[in-house]
Amino acid sequence: MLSDIIQNRYAVTAVILFGIGFTNLMLQQNLLRKVIGFNIMDSAIFMLLASLGYIDGGVAPIVGDRGFDPLYINPIPSGLVLTGIVVSVSITAFSLALIQRIYRRYGTIEMRELLDRAKKEDD
Amino acid sequence: MSKKIDETSGWLQRFAAWVDGDREPPDRTLLVMERRPHRDFRPTEEEFERREKDRLRKFFNWYPIAATVICVVMAAILLTTVMNMPGFGDEDNPINNEVSERYLEHGAEETGSENVVTAMIIGYRGFDTLGESCVLFLAVAAVMILLLRDEKNTTGRELHQLEREEAGAREHADLILQQVAKVLTPFIFLFAIYVLLNGETSPGGGFSGGTILGAGVILFSAAFGVQRTQRFMNRRTYSVVRTFGLMLYAVLYGIYIFIGANGLPNHLAGMILLIDLAVGLVVACTMYGFYALFSRGEI
Amino acid sequence: MIVLEYILLIGLIVCAIAAPLCKRLLAAVIVYMAFSLMMAVLWSLLQSPDLAITEAAVGAGVTSILFFLTLKKVHALKGTHDE
Repeated sequence: MLSDIIQNRYAVTAVILFGIGFTNLMLQQNLLRKVIGFNIMDSAIFMLLASLGYIDGGVAPIVGDRGFDPLYINPIPSGLVLTGIVVSVSITAFSLALIQRIYRRYGTIEMRELLDRAKKEDD
Repeated sequence: MSKKIDETSGWLQRFAAWVDGDREPPDRTLLVMERRPHRDFRPTEEEFERREKDRLRKFFNWYPIAATVICVVMAAILLTTVMNMPGFGDEDNPINNEVSERYLEHGAEETGSENVVTAMIIGYRGFDTLGESCVLFLAVAAVMILLLRDEKNTTGRELHQLEREEAGAREHADLILQQVAKVLTPFIFLFAIYVLLNGETSPGGGFSGGTILGAGVILFSAAFGVQRTQRFMNRRTYSVVRTFGLMLYAVLYGIYIFIGANGLPNHLAGMILLIDLAVGLVVACTMYGFYALFSRGEI
Repeated sequence: MIVLEYILLIGLIVCAIAAPLCKRLLAAVIVYMAFSLMMAVLWSLLQSPDLAITEAAVGAGVTSILFFLTLKKVHALKGTHDE
């Protein structure tokens, strides 16, 4: 059990982080904290992906004059994660912009008050 | 709000009405019930409100418990799955298959980029990155829709407050920030350009260089104010650069399709460099655009 | 090197737990910034320097700035004028 955890330490950490982020996303009342939880989830997924491509004793995949002699890590997860990080910023920016608009409209970013006020306006 | 839209009005008007959300269904009998079912019991206002509040309270009582259970169960499932995954760092993992081998072996000669990550992002999977750049472009557009100031959504008070804040920032300029920025900004720009242009031979490339470039512009704008930033980056230049980056990428990929879509061959020297530059411009503009829209509501 | 790895992994979990529990939103954002920075170091340990550069610029830089600006706009920062 413990040896399994140590063997797969990155994946286990990633799952724990994902759980923490997901819990935050569902349980926090403040919208900004929800966004932070969402970002933690993002990071967890990126970490799982990037750790899959790692090879013990490998070096970064920059094939210079060294030829194919040293062991290189897998470049595919790195490339995928690289694009993912930049997209996660845009998603964060978009949700933060939505939060600003919500604040401008309702004057609060607490979920419960927000629901109350929205309901009151509906009636 | 409900304008009468009938069949005879032009399609443009009808489309505009549809975008605004007040289109009426052409055949109303299909969608609207002819007669409401008769209701004997009508709750009074207080009764209704009390019941709603009760429902909301019940929801907020049960929601945390249900959410916690879901989270714990999901984490447990994921944890057991992860325990059975192949060992970390093993050379014979199924993910290290012939695809990555081929990229590593032939990437340098086929795309002319020694950094295989750049070769993969820009060369082999360039379409992915094109879609990516479009996503960034659209993200800025979406944030613009939400936060751009104009006459419609800005009250005089907000405008007044913004002006006062800017005047205050100009008077009480942060000395430490300005001095640090004066020293650091040239180096940040230098490093950004280095990373941007050396994506082929060293770690870096469009995405990394673009973000650093954007961060440098943000630092400059935060330290020296809007006026001095707008000397080189006003709204017009901004949109031109942003569109130019995306268009450059699209045109280069058009060429790529034309010559067979079989990886960018290295006889087109500098192709990777140009695409890196295009991606870098798009990313840098995205980052600065977010900052400008968030802080002032305009670019 | 393996010790540094363990320290960083445990630090990540600690930061992730601490970030949303902070009472003030500003503290939460700053802890999240530290989380991103640790992630950047971890990526350079995983031999992905491209990711490390991007994460350091994006996670610790741009995302945090966006968070701060939003905090200012929703009047959650102390010392700013609330009207």
